[in-house]
Amino acid sequence: MVRFLAGKGGQYALVLLVAVTLNFLLPRLMPGSPLVFLAGEDAGFLADDQRAALIRAFGLDQPLWRQYLRYLGGLVRGDFGFSFARGRPIAEIILDRLPWTLLLVGVSLLFATLAGVAWGTLAAWRRGSRADIGSLGIAMFFESTPSFWLAMIFIAVFAAGLGWFPIFGARTAALALSGWAAARDIATHAALPIATLTLVTIPGMFLIMRYSMLAVLGEQYIATARAKGVTERRVMFGHAMRNALLPVFTVFMLNLGYVVSGATVVETVFSYPGVGRLLFEAVLARDYPVMQATFFILAVTVITANVAADLLYPLIDPRVRRGP
Amino acid sequence: MAPDPSEAVEIPVGAPAAAAAPAGPERVATPRPRRRVRLGFIGSLGAALLALLIGAAVLAPWITPYDPEATTGAPLEPPSRRHPLGTNDIGQDILSELIFGVRISLSIGFFAAAVAITIGTLVGLLAGYFGRWVDTVLMRLVDVVLVLPFLPLVILLAAYLGPSFWNIILVIGLLVWARPARVIRSQVLLLRSLDYVDAARALGVSTGRILRRHVLPGVLSLSLAQFILAASNAILIEASLSFLGLGDPTAKSWGSMLYYAQVRSAFLSGAWPWWVLPPGMMITAAVLGFTFTGFALEGILYPRLRR
Repeated sequence: MVRFLAGKGGQYALVLLVAVTLNFLLPRLMPGSPLVFLAGEDAGFLADDQRAALIRAFGLDQPLWRQYLRYLGGLVRGDFGFSFARGRPIAEIILDRLPWTLLLVGVSLLFATLAGVAWGTLAAWRRGSRADIGSLGIAMFFESTPSFWLAMIFIAVFAAGLGWFPIFGARTAALALSGWAAARDIATHAALPIATLTLVTIPGMFLIMRYSMLAVLGEQYIATARAKGVTERRVMFGHAMRNALLPVFTVFMLNLGYVVSGATVVETVFSYPGVGRLLFEAVLARDYPVMQATFFILAVTVITANVAADLLYPLIDPRVRRGP
Repeated sequence: MAPDPSEAVEIPVGAPAAAAAPAGPERVATPRPRRRVRLGFIGSLGAALLALLIGAAVLAPWITPYDPEATTGAPLEPPSRRHPLGTNDIGQDILSELIFGVRISLSIGFFAAAVAITIGTLVGLLAGYFGRWVDTVLMRLVDVVLVLPFLPLVILLAAYLGPSFWNIILVIGLLVWARPARVIRSQVLLLRSLDYVDAARALGVSTGRILRRHVLPGVLSLSLAQFILAASNAILIEASLSFLGLGDPTAKSWGSMLYYAQVRSAFLSGAWPWWVLPPGMMITAAVLGFTFTGFALEGILYPRLRR
């Protein structure tokens, strides 16, 4: 168990290191002046002495390994640098945005998992039937659909057309709401983005749950349960589904990376003030430090979820606790 | 934006039936002919879609009613006999844009998948054949690539490299190889233990020659199936990049059509049914075409993988 966690910990540390190193190397190795990447396009038009001062301030005159250590030190202290385009420390900007992304990602992941698990269980139970094959087709269709397109259709139909939901943003800026009214406001703003993200996440969950169920249904203990005269319903939910859920839990956490990717696009369409939208805005403004910080924070989010999954897994599956 | 359609494809469909009915003389396996036919149906549907799209890409200049870059009508004209799918905000014919868009999507899908499969096959071969630390290092690398948030990384790289046709292909190819590498590695592991590979080794054949002549041919068809799946993945990523304004600025792709529709608030105008719907349908059709074909191909070539 300890070895299992240590191995996993090493793996995640490696991922984090790769993400950080990529962020460090990209502005320094790409063609063009690293100063432009770090301080913004305007740095290209500075007078020589100003430029020299900036280069010193960023430590770009030092050897690469020293710059690297300095960069790591900054990250450890929560210093993501400064966005010259926005005139604010990047850490502040990210902290403003992160809760919104977590809201979208968390809720849609939860909904998608519940729906995907139920759907996959039923499909596997009736494998080969018309309903099962139809479900497969539908799942593959939605997995092939671009999420930003779905989002645009949702806006056109439900927000602009029917007027049921607001078109953009996370809350109504003009109103200073509090309590239930504020919660309601936030919920109506989040509804369509969450619906989009849920819809594109369900297929993955469905396919994995269905497969996992099919594998479990082939096990001997299912036949045993049936032979004992356990009702079909109990076999399906009590014996098969509970065991089939184990791999789904892992996928649930792995899917976080996928949903975070989806959120990037969906937030952009809905102008939802999350980290994904921030990435898009940074790309438009050529604000490279912010781009890097968003990538870093999204990587950290995904890794945190994976660590949580590994810590929780032994609680759910006692076999892991015993170890090999 | 699907994470990757290939995820769908690794999911076995036929496996449990095969597992539940082990072939043996005394046991009569329950035949499930209907399902086999259905799977074949999925495959042929995919192949038909692909054939249609490739045909459209090749014949684009002859079958489009207008030059997609030319203003041939009033802005946002609804569909009519002159413009079967109407016009966009600057009066370009949408049907012509769609047909020329096939070229961008298919070529980026093709080249990016080629890059990805070349890397994936190489990594899979080396990791699977040499095992030990080579395997450990390479598979660790695969895990790293799979865990990193995919689209943000693509966006970051595309932003640094600058949007151009070949940069997009490079970025996508450099990030999509991990899953194919894993699948190919498992096949190499199987091949390595086969008698004829052992025999070649015993005869003193050089490692390079064994890999080229005895192992590589055994994984090529699997690489083909993975190639098709990677292409479907690449098409979806290209669409997302173009939609975010990071696509090839000189090309008219389906993603960039939607980018302009989004930027010009298409959903507020009544034009969205012919401005927004068709490009998305084309993306879905192209991705599905590849996914279905790759899915069926993988099942036919390597039923064992369906576990």
